[in-house]
Amino acid sequence: MNIVVCVKQIPDPAEPGALDPNTKTLKRDTKLILDESDAYGVEMALQLADAAGGGEVTLVSMAPNNETAGLRTALAMGAAKAILVSDPSLQGSDALTTSKVLAGAIKRVEGADLILTATESSDGYTGTVPEQVAELLGLPSVTFAKSIAVEGSTVKVERQTEAGYDDVECPTPCVVSVTAGVVEPRYPSFKGIMAAKSKPVDELSAADVGVTAGGWAGAGQEIVAVEQAPAREAGEVVEDDGTGAEKIVAFLENLRVI
Amino acid sequence: MIDWSDEQQMLREAVRQFIEKEIVPIHDDLEHGDLPPYDVLRKLFATFGMDVMAREGFKKRIEFEKAVAEAEANGTEPPAKAERSGGMDPSMTMIPIMELCRYSPGMVTAMGVSMGLTAAAISSRGTIAQKERWVPELLTLEKIGAWAITEPNSGSDAFGSMKATARRDGDEYVLNGSKTFITNGPYADTIVFICKLDEGNPPEERKILSFVLDQGMAGLEQSKPLRKMGMHSSPTGELFLSDVRVGRDRLIGETEDVPSGGRAGAKDTFSMERSGVAAMALGIIERCLELSVQYAKDRVQFGKPIGEFQLIQEKLAIMEVHRLNVQNLVFRYIELSQQGQGLTLAEASAMKLYSARAAMEVALEAVQLHGGNGYMAEFKVEQLARDAKVLQIYAGTDEIQITHIAKDLLRR
Repeated sequence: MNIVVCVKQIPDPAEPGALDPNTKTLKRDTKLILDESDAYGVEMALQLADAAGGGEVTLVSMAPNNETAGLRTALAMGAAKAILVSDPSLQGSDALTTSKVLAGAIKRVEGADLILTATESSDGYTGTVPEQVAELLGLPSVTFAKSIAVEGSTVKVERQTEAGYDDVECPTPCVVSVTAGVVEPRYPSFKGIMAAKSKPVDELSAADVGVTAGGWAGAGQEIVAVEQAPAREAGEVVEDDGTGAEKIVAFLENLRVI
Repeated sequence: MIDWSDEQQMLREAVRQFIEKEIVPIHDDLEHGDLPPYDVLRKLFATFGMDVMAREGFKKRIEFEKAVAEAEANGTEPPAKAERSGGMDPSMTMIPIMELCRYSPGMVTAMGVSMGLTAAAISSRGTIAQKERWVPELLTLEKIGAWAITEPNSGSDAFGSMKATARRDGDEYVLNGSKTFITNGPYADTIVFICKLDEGNPPEERKILSFVLDQGMAGLEQSKPLRKMGMHSSPTGELFLSDVRVGRDRLIGETEDVPSGGRAGAKDTFSMERSGVAAMALGIIERCLELSVQYAKDRVQFGKPIGEFQLIQEKLAIMEVHRLNVQNLVFRYIELSQQGQGLTLAEASAMKLYSARAAMEVALEAVQLHGGNGYMAEFKVEQLARDAKVLQIYAGTDEIQITHIAKDLLRR
């Protein structure tokens, strides 16, 4: 079974991030790492390929400066190869352009049975790319998978909902977005880390995947302004007059936490 | 080598994540309780495939040795050693050592003695059958090993004062003696016991022999863990042997005639051990410096962070000098090994002497910089200071290293 996983390489969240004042977007000129939310998709793909008794896991990514550090991490986990689209003309791309690039790259993978993505990236958070990719590829899609099983040419997904989960079935090939926690991502083995260096990474331009109007030119959005997040407001102090417990319950109910 | 490569950084990051997830939560039990480190070490090995790599590496080596032995027996040309692109990469072991030492240097001691010293002692001088019998499970940590040389009255003068004996008795040997400060002693499954062959001749003329013992053999007693200053995550104990009977199959090499009276094997082991200490020191130094820099920024006295006081700045600067120097020694060792070269025993001694002293100085200064908090277990530097002290004592004391270095210089 051949599986494609869309992965994003992002600035390390542990490092202090910075915005580019000209573009009002996150600076991406440092070493990028594998978005943790994509590690779940990579792990799921490796497990599904194992369960199917074989097949390849291919990574697809779009990143500036021919960055491969994050891809190497996923290759060290066990993915077989990667396609990286890196092109200065793609700077400023919106979610739809990103989806066009990823869909163009996925089309180059022969015999893909399943395309996995995270539900959203940890730096952009649009959460729209998986469905756009599915639409561009003309494939069905299932979102928020908390578990995936493949039986023949059917994918069985437990789809996370607010109240619990839905059982969803979908024919392959299809696009499935997985939630964090769908599986526990493995650590790359030492052997995997050594092998990752020599695994193939196919580096493509925007034109190679059929995207000619990328970046700011093709973006259907404009970042007008960036503001500091408002400072946290002081909380409400409630005196316990014997009804403290009820007030806590009412407060949490109001937040819909319980 | 001037910096860690991308692969080495990835490896480091992965091991660090494992340690933060698996070891930090049980750190207090390892350092202030009696939790033995073996289960979590085995998990570390399994997680990163170090057990599989060790087994595969062993299989290749032993197949080659068998092919050579067969050719020698048949009088044919022995096979050429497989071409390698350069030497081995010690960073695969040094990086986990450094990362573990940021929290629990004792775990490295327990691991290193088992898969390093004990396995190496059998690997370097044992017969093929002995290697197949004991080495693979030591390399994977399925079995825990101990290397028993030190005795109550024999430390730095390991061979001169050694009292433990082997006496011939028909086809067998009878072993007697007691060993102390034996890392993994309380829990070891496989023990390399070093002793002198008593043929009624004067002790200084006796041959040094090494035997492999298994836990539970009649006459072998393993003590409970000894209480000690630091390295609490490394169980240390005593071994008592009274008339332990062993066959020749347990005599390493199955011969009494080993080169330089058996001393060479032990010296090879010393050299490897000393290089590992530098990586341990680097882990301790890096962690102490990190904690100290953070504390100097956070701790406010007299209305400003203490990092703004020059006496504190001096401490940080000296720590950084030591960090750079020890890191450079480690880089040099890695690069030499990658080129298939090794350190001489004197170079290994010099590296160990400097690194151990640097780790001790940095850790004590980290305690001092933390003030009263540094003396408390919660701030972690006191544990690293207690642990660092043994780097100046085991694997040859500072004083022994100094004499090795000086003798080497004066011999030239």
